[in-house]
Amino acid sequence: MGHQFVLLISASIFCVGATGFLIRKNPLIMFMSVELMLNSVNFLLIGYSSFQKSMDGQIFALMVMTVAAAEVVVGLAIILTIFRTRHDMDVDHINTLKG
Amino acid sequence: MFEFDLFELTRATVTTLVGLTAVLASLGVILCSSPIYCALYLIGHMICLALLFLLYNAEFIAAVQIIVYAGAVMILFLFIIALLGGKKEIQEPSTERSLAIAFVATMLGELFLSATVGPTRPIEGTFDVQTVAEVGGSAKAIGLELFSRHVVAFELASVLLLVAAVGIICLSKFSYVPVRRRMK
Repeated sequence: MGHQFVLLISASIFCVGATGFLIRKNPLIMFMSVELMLNSVNFLLIGYSSFQKSMDGQIFALMVMTVAAAEVVVGLAIILTIFRTRHDMDVDHINTLKG
Repeated sequence: MFEFDLFELTRATVTTLVGLTAVLASLGVILCSSPIYCALYLIGHMICLALLFLLYNAEFIAAVQIIVYAGAVMILFLFIIALLGGKKEIQEPSTERSLAIAFVATMLGELFLSATVGPTRPIEGTFDVQTVAEVGGSAKAIGLELFSRHVVAFELASVLLLVAAVGIICLSKFSYVPVRRRMK
């Protein structure tokens, strides 16, 4: 399959993830949308690594996965801590720091 | 005159179908109101992406995708949903929502334009084609690259994971006292 297929699929998934991050109010689903965006970039890296016959894209995708795993762990711990103190799961209601 | 490669045709069909399934599953993630269905759609999306990685000669990354994402990360998500209770979210249209959708739709249009019109031709890689063609995306090739040219990044990634582990221990062990109660 050609480059355009990879680019179009990756762009579609990235935009779906960005939409999800902007329109949803549940922090868990916002995190899932971030995962979607990271995954779309991974797919782009893998596809182009295959086209260019170079391993660098795959190494980079591995690094992105590591960062994503660390980010998810810390993010879910933060969500859990917020929920324990507030018992609320709507990001619009978390506005204590708002000026 | 009329000739086609059956293998290539099958491969192209399978790739297109799996790619479209991945996009549909990602739409399911952001459109379902119940978080548990979102997580299940995300698992389907991860598996589709792993299949795509396999189709693009990255066996090791596909295995890591299944183990790390569809395994570890999604189990973590499901545990958190089970802990917090998967409350349904009422989605009503609002101005901010339509603004966000318009913004992202514009971005998608620009990306599509740049993907179809723009200069997306590949440049020739500096890496030796012959060696990569021999070893491909196997664990051996990844290991050769990772421990020779990218060893610093690899070690930094391990430090990052350690920092994340220490961070969540700090977050979950010491309970947070709200400011109002402390003031009294």
